[in-house]
Amino acid sequence: MSNIIKTIDVTDSLENLKEVCDIEDGRISGRIFYDQKIYEQELEKIFARCWLFVAHESQIPNTGDYVTTTMGEDEVIVIRQKDGGIKVFLNACPHRGNKVCFAESGSTRGFICNYHGWSFNVAGNLVGQHESGIYEASDFDKAKWGLKEVAQVESWKGLVFATFDPEAPTLQEYLGPMTWYLDALFDNQEGGTEFVGGCIRSTYDCNWKIAAENFVGDILHAGWTHDSAARAMLGGSVAKVSDFEESYSVNWNGHGYEFALDTVGNVAVLGESALNKYLHTIKPSVAERLGEFRANMIGAVSSCTLFPNFSFLAGQNTVRVWQPRGPNKIELFTWVVVNKSAPQEIKEKWRKGAMMTFSPTGVFEMDDGENWEYCTKTAKGRVTAAQDLYIGLGMNSRAEETSLPGNVFKGQLNEANARAYYQQWFDHLSTKRWSELPNRNFGKQEAE
Amino acid sequence: MEKVYLCKTSDLAENQVKRIDNSEHGDIAVYNLGGNYYATADLCTHATASLAEGDIEDEMIVCPVHWGQFHIPTGRAQGFPCEIDLRTYPVAIEGDAIYALVEVAAPALIAKG
Repeated sequence: MSNIIKTIDVTDSLENLKEVCDIEDGRISGRIFYDQKIYEQELEKIFARCWLFVAHESQIPNTGDYVTTTMGEDEVIVIRQKDGGIKVFLNACPHRGNKVCFAESGSTRGFICNYHGWSFNVAGNLVGQHESGIYEASDFDKAKWGLKEVAQVESWKGLVFATFDPEAPTLQEYLGPMTWYLDALFDNQEGGTEFVGGCIRSTYDCNWKIAAENFVGDILHAGWTHDSAARAMLGGSVAKVSDFEESYSVNWNGHGYEFALDTVGNVAVLGESALNKYLHTIKPSVAERLGEFRANMIGAVSSCTLFPNFSFLAGQNTVRVWQPRGPNKIELFTWVVVNKSAPQEIKEKWRKGAMMTFSPTGVFEMDDGENWEYCTKTAKGRVTAAQDLYIGLGMNSRAEETSLPGNVFKGQLNEANARAYYQQWFDHLSTKRWSELPNRNFGKQEAE
Repeated sequence: MEKVYLCKTSDLAENQVKRIDNSEHGDIAVYNLGGNYYATADLCTHATASLAEGDIEDEMIVCPVHWGQFHIPTGRAQGFPCEIDLRTYPVAIEGDAIYALVEVAAPALIAKG
């Protein structure tokens, strides 16, 4: 396996990280959204180590089907192999580093570099070069110069993740009991899910964490930030979350899912009654498959982020990756996910509904973008960046007696998930390898 | 006409191709297309590549390096960047042995463009 990427050296952690992130004390500071040195630490200690979402299996069904994406700022190609497996390669020629694939997606027999004609097959092996005869005189070993392959690739129910770190735990271990909740969207019907349409790409002048944190556990903003958009889509305001009798914030390894149990609160904002009806129609079969509790989650008021930068909304069915592009810029990749078994017109309504609400011109997305950009931009001020930001809501809200898996907190109007998220961020930035990472989980591994 | 031994029929499964090293005439690719045997030059006419390392798709061999294609029975270049036809050899089967019948003076191959 000589084409496996070289693991990068990890530099020393920054001193005094606690000044900008003290979770026990319930505070962070704006510097974490603007500081270049912190950003560089994130690229090596988070994006070069963690499991990152790279594709949905449905995007690449056949041999040679591929998508290109990024893992942090590293460009990669995700490609289906002849044996049905998936490989992920750096999108860079191992001769002079030129990009070898310029398309977002497609189907191919391989990749040929524009510069010196190095040609790679679907498995990433170097199979030829322009003037290939001259290489023999240099004792060139073709087998060593294929496209560089990431350390690990794994799928969970159609979602493909990859990591650059050979020491990273298995994907199953990384996700832990979060998968029990993820089933509510990704495995609520036989056949699972697929992506419909392409990838919508847009940019924001904001830090990647502020967006990821919003999805990890901030439903609080919705009733205020999105009030006018909700009135436009629903003819009234967003459901008053504090009125819900039962709702939760659950986290594990920095991932977080906040949710109510109202079945259709999220899907309703797409303004397509056929989608509400669809969820009500499938709900009995979901209850049979996953139990009553998770059947109530399928389109409920909720949001989720898997650490570090993969998020989704069940109901709106928008799936997204907040790709870091410097400390104060992101490129947002979004897709629409649907049940494979759903009728075609339902899939189409979801695609359109997500475009209307959570695309660059979507009514909710624009509300968020404005806020996230200014959360980032104010930190340009050196004095402002040094001030404490409050992150203490729900400090003592742990659900002591629960049969639910994961670290469970009562109520979704709660910053417990945000704290767990930033704690994981802090822990990664404070350590050099997985084995040094503290385990702060206290909840159950499995549902009872 | 020289009779060059290639391999046994039992060594070549259906829709498989195999390279037979031959320093005198150039390496030869031998194919089994649904029980019919064919032989062509193994070297791609476009760039350095062993066609036996490529994939067979219907009656075509796809070059593994730049994915040009040749029609196996006729040697005709069918897909960019291949423009020069591939040399083909008549095949003789004797028992389970496959032979290529090689004209000693090879016809000159001239680029089309």
